[in-house]
Amino acid sequence: MKRRGTGVGCMFYGVGNTGLPNPAAAFVQVLPDTSVHVTVGAADIGQGSSTMAASVAAETLGLEYENIQVSWADTMYAPEGGATSASRQTFITGNAVKNACLTAMGELKRTASEELNVPEEDLVFRNREIYSGKDASVRMTYPELMAAMGKKGRLAVGAGYYNPKTTYLNPADMSGIPYELYSYATTILEVEVDTDTGEVTLLKAVSAHDVGTPVGIKMVEGQIEGGTAMGTGFVVSEKIDVDPKTLAIKNPTLSKYIIETCMDVPVVYPIVVSSEGEAGPFGAKGVGEPALIPSIPATIAAINDAIGSSFTSTPIFPADIVKAWQEQQAAKN
Amino acid sequence: MRDYAVLAKDHVKVDALEKVMGTAKFAADYKMPNMLYGGVFRSTVPHAYVKKLNLDKARALPGVACALDYTAIPGKNRFGIIFKDEPCLVDDKVRRYGDAIAVVAAETPELVQDALDLIEVEYEELEAVSSFERAMEEDSPKVHGDTNVNVKKHLEYGNVDEAWAKCDVIVENTYSTHILSHMFIEPDAGIAYLDEQGIMNVIASTQNAHYDRNEVAAMLGVPQNRVRVKQAVTGGGFGGKLDISVQLHCALMAWHTKRPVKMVRSRSESTMVSSKRHPMTMKCKTGATKDGRLVAVECYMTCDAGAYSSYAPAVIGRAPVHIVGPYECPNVRCDAVFAYTNNPMCGAFRGFGVPQAAVCHEGQMNALAKALNMSPLEIRMINAQKVGSVIPTGQKLTESVGFMDTLTQARDKAAEVMPEALERLTQD
Amino acid sequence: MNKITVRCTVNHKSVEVETAPNKRLLDMLREDLNLTSVKEGCSEGECGACTVLYNGEPVTSCCILAGQAQGADIVTLEGISPDGKPDAVQQAFMDSGAVQCGFCTPGMILSAEALLAKNPNPTEEEVKQAMSGNLCRCTGYAKIIEAVLMAAQRRREEGQA
Repeated sequence: MKRRGTGVGCMFYGVGNTGLPNPAAAFVQVLPDTSVHVTVGAADIGQGSSTMAASVAAETLGLEYENIQVSWADTMYAPEGGATSASRQTFITGNAVKNACLTAMGELKRTASEELNVPEEDLVFRNREIYSGKDASVRMTYPELMAAMGKKGRLAVGAGYYNPKTTYLNPADMSGIPYELYSYATTILEVEVDTDTGEVTLLKAVSAHDVGTPVGIKMVEGQIEGGTAMGTGFVVSEKIDVDPKTLAIKNPTLSKYIIETCMDVPVVYPIVVSSEGEAGPFGAKGVGEPALIPSIPATIAAINDAIGSSFTSTPIFPADIVKAWQEQQAAKN
Repeated sequence: MRDYAVLAKDHVKVDALEKVMGTAKFAADYKMPNMLYGGVFRSTVPHAYVKKLNLDKARALPGVACALDYTAIPGKNRFGIIFKDEPCLVDDKVRRYGDAIAVVAAETPELVQDALDLIEVEYEELEAVSSFERAMEEDSPKVHGDTNVNVKKHLEYGNVDEAWAKCDVIVENTYSTHILSHMFIEPDAGIAYLDEQGIMNVIASTQNAHYDRNEVAAMLGVPQNRVRVKQAVTGGGFGGKLDISVQLHCALMAWHTKRPVKMVRSRSESTMVSSKRHPMTMKCKTGATKDGRLVAVECYMTCDAGAYSSYAPAVIGRAPVHIVGPYECPNVRCDAVFAYTNNPMCGAFRGFGVPQAAVCHEGQMNALAKALNMSPLEIRMINAQKVGSVIPTGQKLTESVGFMDTLTQARDKAAEVMPEALERLTQD
Repeated sequence: MNKITVRCTVNHKSVEVETAPNKRLLDMLREDLNLTSVKEGCSEGECGACTVLYNGEPVTSCCILAGQAQGADIVTLEGISPDGKPDAVQQAFMDSGAVQCGFCTPGMILSAEALLAKNPNPTEEEVKQAMSGNLCRCTGYAKIIEAVLMAAQRRREEGQA
């Protein structure tokens, strides 16, 4: 018999290391032709921290994304980046890039202020132009600004770093400020369970993530879609088997450790939720780990809803489902 | 949301072009003149003293450039992101299946395998600690030092003992999660070489080049500015490439042979020895008023962290803070104990214990909803954190708390794309 | 060990490779011909990262001996756009955000190319079937499927133009 079930899963996630300093840094230089070098320590493992760095630099400097060249994770040239972990790079390296840009902009603002005769605090840098926030007709282009910088012998260079505002936690009771900010998520997920075979079909998942400000929409969606695949697989297909005698992993291969294919994943409807805050760069928060988390409890709950079971342990494999279903039917009779 | 010029839009990622063209250089794609290949001789027992190790036959094989054990390490032979408890090469005893005992560099990968096959080892086997329960027994063998307790945490907020009297409903359940593998699609790899300035260069698949640099420098006993670690294009990590993989072994062999040494792990070797997700057991008691408001949560969590610490101290720090989930709760107690065993090493894996905690807090919310005859969505909305909420460490949330919006927007989208499913959820 | 000589076409050029008889096609391509877009992820034909086109069919090159390429027409990702510009599939992968770590990407693109060569107007289900031999741990596949459909549509539109 095929039975459907729905589950909801929620989570919050403190971005960055728990109650510990975890700074990251960036170097920035705006070149005479308005192209930009950004160098960060953050390792990009495909999630897009370098793309994030380019985006934050372009937004801060008032240049275009295409103007930014990012180099990353080479200790010879790049400053400390800390670990690409704890969903921290958008928040921390992002703020580092912003701070480095703001330092580089000290000379840019001074020069633009002199050229336009506008107080520095009134200047707006946006879309390759610099103008007065009070009178947008008073403006100059970025190439004009860099030419003026050149004439005055000024360079637009900056180093910046960011360390989240946290406290060490009290060892007695863990009180304190473990994280400066938190990401939030809710997943609603539907499954179909075959009570004869125990097979679980992952149907649909709606997953809404509060990321503060999304740096890139598709990048956030990609995290959510990938995280949902990993989170559902956590419950229904993935498991490391350890040999009880040698304590060796018995299934270290992809033929014996089953991750989902494109035929197995549910249809995911990612929802990018924004919220207001000042801590992250332009309000951005991390999503790498949050993307995974809510689909795990949602999948467990959906299976329980489908067959009336009360699983509290993972994984839930077909044999477990068949057993639970049969026990339940036997109890009824 | 503000009107951004660049953010909140889509741009082609900075590394996308080389990845679709096939020119992106992953660690295994590097080749250098005069390059050697490296391999590791690993333990096939989980807990043992190494009584004898004979590398002579491996060294005598033509085409073998070096076969090294721990005595070849010029600097420190202990590393680890938080506790330095893992050896580059085993010196005192084997603590898990797959511990690195010796390394070999040779002219071809085939010769590396031949040389590894010629290494002889004799063990004095010890009882292996294979579970949290056994680890905690007084007479159990100790994996490190004189206790198997790896880390302990205690979180206390409000007054849990008095709070139970205020609860109209209390649910108690035990949750457990299992051990999982990252299965990043690119197995670990790297290459090390000394450059013309005598600086040790390591190019590796990694999530933290600066940490790797510090460990390589400590192992070689050189200043940190005499080591350069460059992240190769990295084929996924999910936390599994935060620990040292091939970096130290490559660097050690390049140091001794003065030649570039490349190491590429097979899928099996990569999965066997990289970190795993911490399996956790959470015994949890949760109380609420009859209108669904959380009053108290008490949780006891235990974990078999495996043979080395890796990120266990980070996981045990994070899980208690998140044990209530994104909800307000005025009284919380959480005790956590992580133990060393001779099982596979657990470490960072996407979420650092919060996925495990979520299995518990979401299970408890569902149990409460059922007991109170409320819908799972409703009970979450009643307790949802918002700006001004205080979390169980006493921290007051001051901004960017979009939890309620995720609940309502998920609900609204579900009403559109899976209305029957949503109805099943809300009718309980 | 005696060497064997493999004569075949690789990326539209005739090649003659002296290689060891125990080498896999994957090794020959990566080591002897330096075609490093061909990735080794599992060594057992499960992950599809080493996918190449073998007489137009997507195959996992870790499961084929080099000698079996004798006389075959082999295409790797390097041979998809010899002019150095991304083709429709490659461009769609970039535009739809289908690339994260990139390790599965060469195999994914080749599976997509093989599908679209035979079926220029695939349904979403047909795309999924065709891509089901390629594992991705990052994306959850949604944007990859979207990219293949986008490439198919753009190619059809180009054909009409």
